[in-house]
Amino acid sequence: MADGNMVEALSIAPEAPGPRPLQILLKLRTFIALIAVIVFFSLVAPNFLSVSNFVIMMKHISIIAILALGMTFVILTGGIDLSVGSIAGLSGMVAGFLLLNGIPIVPFGTVLVPSVPEVILLSLACGGLIGFLNGILVARFNVAPFIATLGMLYIARGAALLISGGTTFPNLVGHPDLGNQGFPILGSGTILGIPLPVLILVGVTLLGMFVTQRTTFGRRVYALGGNERAAYLSGLRTGRLKIAVYVISGVCAALVGLIIASDLSAAHPASGETLELSAIAAVVLGGASLSGGRGTIIGTLTGACVIGVLGDGMVMMGISEFWQMVIKGAVIVLAVMLDQFQASLGKEV
Amino acid sequence: MNRLVRAALLLAGALAFLTLESCTESGDPSELIVIIAPSLDNPFFGQEAAAADGKARELGYDTLLFSHGDDAYKQSELIDSAIARDAAAIILDNAGADASVAAVAKAERAGVPVFLIDREISRRGVATAQIVSNNYQGAMLGALSFAQAMGGGGQYAELVGRESDTNAAIRSAGYHAVLDQYPGLEMVARQSANWSQSEAFSRTQSMLQANPGIRGIIAGNDTMAMGAIAALEGIGRSDVVVVGFDGSNDMRDAVLAGKAHATVLQPAHLQAEYAVELAHGYLTEGATGQPEKLLMDCILVDAGNAERLDDFQMKQERD
Repeated sequence: MADGNMVEALSIAPEAPGPRPLQILLKLRTFIALIAVIVFFSLVAPNFLSVSNFVIMMKHISIIAILALGMTFVILTGGIDLSVGSIAGLSGMVAGFLLLNGIPIVPFGTVLVPSVPEVILLSLACGGLIGFLNGILVARFNVAPFIATLGMLYIARGAALLISGGTTFPNLVGHPDLGNQGFPILGSGTILGIPLPVLILVGVTLLGMFVTQRTTFGRRVYALGGNERAAYLSGLRTGRLKIAVYVISGVCAALVGLIIASDLSAAHPASGETLELSAIAAVVLGGASLSGGRGTIIGTLTGACVIGVLGDGMVMMGISEFWQMVIKGAVIVLAVMLDQFQASLGKEV
Repeated sequence: MNRLVRAALLLAGALAFLTLESCTESGDPSELIVIIAPSLDNPFFGQEAAAADGKARELGYDTLLFSHGDDAYKQSELIDSAIARDAAAIILDNAGADASVAAVAKAERAGVPVFLIDREISRRGVATAQIVSNNYQGAMLGALSFAQAMGGGGQYAELVGRESDTNAAIRSAGYHAVLDQYPGLEMVARQSANWSQSEAFSRTQSMLQANPGIRGIIAGNDTMAMGAIAALEGIGRSDVVVVGFDGSNDMRDAVLAGKAHATVLQPAHLQAEYAVELAHGYLTEGATGQPEKLLMDCILVDAGNAERLDDFQMKQERD
């Protein structure tokens, strides 16, 4: 199994000579699916094909996509991160707490009020810290990623509820006297009519593409996922690499939590529930292999677009809630079937 | 070759799948009312949505029904979609008093009036109307009946709804406003069961293990009361007074069968219909003609009148 993956990992860059049309079609399947979904909903859903709706959809997609891009790094190493939804919820709560209560310095009896950029950095750091803990569990204590991050799913959600005792932090607009206004801009602000979360997504995507394609770190992540033992024997510090990918995923999740809290101007301890599943689905739809070593940033972005457009389109069409779940599930399974099929074609050649 | 055939079949399947679900209805977009409830599979919210849906259709509107699952961000996304669909009005049972303010304001800014039912939001002047049942008054009714059934004394337990939900706190406060007046009544356990039947079932089992002397259980909604009844039946206890809140058909049957003592009917059906009527008035005349916040009183349902209860409304009262 490991050998097969290694072959695939090595064949990312140069293509096998003379790919057949069918293979090209399969390779582009996520993109084709995206086009098909957009065309379909444009025909049947009223008002779907409008600039304002695409702007709204891109904003919704940015939530799943940023989570999924962070998740891509973890999945490339052959791991999985189930805790991202909870981390998003927790980081929103941390931001809400800091904006409303500041940082109480108990010995001096004073309160430090961080500015909005500081709040954002602290919340991101909190996500990174939880990612770091995930990484330590996986890399140093050899806990299976599924279990380590499942545990963290509960811990982070519990922590989010504990911060406020289960209640919502309301009205996160800051106070002029404290100089911490402006938090809602992150989620609901626009530049030239483009929502800020979409621009953040573009930034994260470009950064992700750069890291995976142009840095040694990126190559090492692929190598680790392709064949861990080979990577280790060739001198890679696989433990550190694993920790790094979980930190990346944690920070991305925290970013999403901040966007959600900012967009709602309120931090709700239950936000982000089940988002991890949408994120994993997006990565898988994008052609990544859950056993690691194969997958791309652009593929994940396309996968997130398919999930987002499908979700919004079905809502606009008025398909019943229950059918929506059935259809989403079927699309994910179908994507993996096609993926397996493509893999088997590859072996044939 | 065999593989090629399989590939072709898969692709054909994929395409067929994408074109499978045809459009349900697409009427004049300005005649669309979007109804958003916390869930459509819970009897209370399901009935509430169905009542609004029926009334809106009766008045000649197209409708779309969605649920946000108590997820404020999902709710915000659904409101975005309603705005994009150019809805004429939104009927909303919201996902949290504080977390819903921004989303409701967004719809109003986009020119889509929002009519809140069942739960209120924490700020006035944002929604076009808020039609909520008087949970405090209802809880006091339920608590009074509970205390009388307990004979004014004994140990009892309370099952509280989701802690982040305003109604959970208001109902609990209403219960205690009455129950704390009885020196003989002693609360020996208080647990949140998140409105859920299965959680209430296991919580009740544990509470009864720890406090076998419990003679009454008062729950923040009927779903949790039904969970408590199931737990009581499991250990063969039929001497425990159970009171719920909502007025569901399940609970009505339990009251009629003597398994539960009483529930409090929230006028969900009337509320939802009234919200649609207000929306219709607003759309045709430009104003609701009513103050923003409207409280509707709850009704106690016990063995005396349970027969008349059906789908969250008392028969004979209407029509």
